Amino acid sequence: MLRLWPLRQVAKVQNVLGGLTQIATKSSQPVPAPELVEVFIDDKQIFVEPGTTVLQACAVAGVEIPRFCYHDRLSIAGNCRMCLVEVERSAKPVASCAMPVIKGMKVKTDSPMTRKAREGVMEFLLVNHPLDCPICDQGGECDLQDQSMAFGSDRSRFTDNAFTGKRAVEDKNIGPLIKTIMTRCIHCTRCIRFASEIAGVDDLGTSGRGTEMQVGTYVEKMFKSELSGNVIDLCPVGALTSKPYAFTARPWEIRKIESIDVMDAVGSNIVVSMRTNEVMRILPRLNEEINEEWISDKTRFAYDGLKRQRLTTPFIRVNDELVPTDWETAFVKIAEKVKSTEHASIAGVAGKFADAEAMVCLKDMINRLGGEILCTEESFPMTTSGQVFGLILIDFRSNYILNSKIAGIEQSDLILLIGTNPRLEAPLVNARIRKTWVHNEVCVALLGAPVDLSYDYQYLGDSYTVLKDLTTGKHPLCQALSKAKKPLIILGTDCLQRDDSHIILNAVRELSENVKKTCSNKDWKIFNVLQQSASQVGALDLGYQPGVQAVKTVKPQVLFMLGADAASFKRQDLCYNATIIYIGHHGDYGAQMADIVLPAAAYTEKDAIYVNTEGRVQIGRQAVSPPGVARHDWKIIRALSEILGVTLPYDKIGDVRSRLAEISPSFNYPGQVSDSGFETQAYKLQSELKPKVAEPCPNPIVPNKLKLRDFFMTDPISRASLTMAKCIQACDESEKNPYSKREAV
Amino acid sequence: MASFRSVIVNSYKILRQNNGVIGSFLKLFRHDDLKWGTCIGEDKFGNKYYQNNYYFYGKNRWVSFPPSVGFDFDASQVPPEWHRWLQYITDEPPSTHPLPKRNWMADHTENLTGSSKEYVPYSTTRPKIEAWVPPKK
Repeated sequence: MLRLWPLRQVAKVQNVLGGLTQIATKSSQPVPAPELVEVFIDDKQIFVEPGTTVLQACAVAGVEIPRFCYHDRLSIAGNCRMCLVEVERSAKPVASCAMPVIKGMKVKTDSPMTRKAREGVMEFLLVNHPLDCPICDQGGECDLQDQSMAFGSDRSRFTDNAFTGKRAVEDKNIGPLIKTIMTRCIHCTRCIRFASEIAGVDDLGTSGRGTEMQVGTYVEKMFKSELSGNVIDLCPVGALTSKPYAFTARPWEIRKIESIDVMDAVGSNIVVSMRTNEVMRILPRLNEEINEEWISDKTRFAYDGLKRQRLTTPFIRVNDELVPTDWETAFVKIAEKVKSTEHASIAGVAGKFADAEAMVCLKDMINRLGGEILCTEESFPMTTSGQVFGLILIDFRSNYILNSKIAGIEQSDLILLIGTNPRLEAPLVNARIRKTWVHNEVCVALLGAPVDLSYDYQYLGDSYTVLKDLTTGKHPLCQALSKAKKPLIILGTDCLQRDDSHIILNAVRELSENVKKTCSNKDWKIFNVLQQSASQVGALDLGYQPGVQAVKTVKPQVLFMLGADAASFKRQDLCYNATIIYIGHHGDYGAQMADIVLPAAAYTEKDAIYVNTEGRVQIGRQAVSPPGVARHDWKIIRALSEILGVTLPYDKIGDVRSRLAEISPSFNYPGQVSDSGFETQAYKLQSELKPKVAEPCPNPIVPNKLKLRDFFMTDPISRASLTMAKCIQACDESEKNPYSKREAV
Repeated sequence: MASFRSVIVNSYKILRQNNGVIGSFLKLFRHDDLKWGTCIGEDKFGNKYYQNNYYFYGKNRWVSFPPSVGFDFDASQVPPEWHRWLQYITDEPPSTHPLPKRNWMADHTENLTGSSKEYVPYSTTRPKIEAWVPPKK
């Protein structure tokens, strides 16, 4: 907590000066278990740890205290006064959210005094709160509405505003995502605390006091954060609501489907709200191990991209133009092409949204036809030498996943980020690092571009020589690395998209093994890869090759693209008369290049398995049906296999999933993550098989996404989204705003 | 109560107007009704309009659809000028008191619902999904 404003400046100096010594001075003595405190909640005896607040103790006893400003994950403000309770032998009711328990404390949560206090607070809040619930987007899911029903009075004694009117506050423009109706604000300051504590952006604050108090950005500017949408969920009233969702649906008319996000490799748990076969909004779902209760703005707001640029019918290319057709014609055309080509010359490429079921079906189909080349769009070093010989790195799962898990970041005491910008590549991983940085005083070092990570870090530069120095032990950070109890090395994948990627991976692997030797905690996993696409870990688990190098070398005659839209290769890279078959949901690079386009389902339209960067298998659920004549990906491939004469033995999705489990047992345990094994063995082989001669690596190790602007449009869904386009526009405008904070780089 | 004699007389008149026993059977089969009356007039579609005040008010005017429509007859085949007489809006049939023909009046069409020519309103709502249109070269 010391690292929060206004003690930030002190902490900054401390971080720079004492960062290295900090780890060594930490006490290694285990803290003795504290004695439990006995308290009585409504005469019910419970035991809680000392330091627990009365509100938390009540929650343990099963009594929920009404609150507006208190939130589990934010610091305590204690300014709404809604959580007042009566404590025996106390003259006044106490604010339970800020009051620590005292031994023998007797709390009365439903006494006349408590009820009167709540009613009084509610009366004061409603003095200036507009009664516009019928046109308010929060209506139906509003804390103030619910609590005034439960605890409020049926009338107000404050009749003055019948003559003077209620307080009116001008609305603020804080960007294209959050709509503000500041008259509704009850000054709980949750949004301010979220921005400064979790998002790490000190944009929001209050001005004035009493009735004149206002929450805002002081000067008009954009709330520039990749997690900004979460303040909509936090706001207990309708002061901050979603701009794209404004006036579109009511909470009681939508159906909620619990699903998984695919915008990045974190696999955030989400709730898709659906009405009349249309995705209305996306909200976060609690998962302590992945996203806690936050989601990134791309996850939350890119859903309008699911309604634009969609493939709703099959297409075939006639006279160099794609014309709509039906499934039968498209399938017959594919069958003709496949029949007339040599079967070894059939290949497949999976894009970043490909689900595990579709990938295994495509792999099985192409293998049955005799083709061997199946790859993903995103590259990853295949072998230790960069050539075909050497150790196949992806044979070991520990080489390509986030071994220490996202929740494991919180235990760490030193984090070294290499070639990554976690803030834009995986905002929730970055939020986790920031949380650790705020609460556990972790030291962060960064090798890459000097980007704004929302916390302070030691910048090591961006050249490969620094990495080399770290492996050889010449760098000053090596001392801290060897002293750290639970150090983490997180490698980004942007710097692995080049030809010299194996050199970087070899060096980072060597570095983590060196650190492991000195690390006292032998079970701790040091080496981590932060993947960026939702399909990558699943594809590598299923035996896909990373990168399209194989396709470029072999030049196949028939190429199946499973949602491959990253423009990682061109038609010229294939055989001159190659047939490209695109299976996907958006008309993007892939569909434009293809000869035959088969419309498939997007992530909200299918029951599908995705594996996140930790290697956690998660099942996304279908919320709406695919548009037009589009079908589920695996069913398309299953139907196609029958026409091609290599019928796949899967008739139900259960059959496909048992096939997945056959290939990798982790698919048997959705929601869980198993430890990756054979780390040491993998490294031993790697160090033996890597080239003996040190190769030069002249290019700097930098990530691609540097500014918030680069965050919004990264894939076919977000490229089709109008909201994301508006975000980019707003980012560009905020560059011109003299009051807006300059982004580093 | 109708006397025995009037029943006999009416039955005879019905049989005579409907071309004997077979004709009456066919009429009953097609129209589910068997009456006799004076033909008041005929419209351009071939519908014949009858009146017989022997029957009770409400049943004393009726239409007989032409054999060309077969069993495909319905009330919308009656043109509006005859409709007003048939439904007792007026007592003067258009055959004796023709209505003025204005130039803005459209020709009568029957209700075409259920046929290939039925009226289908176009959708005024925006499609939920915008489909991709391949770029033209």
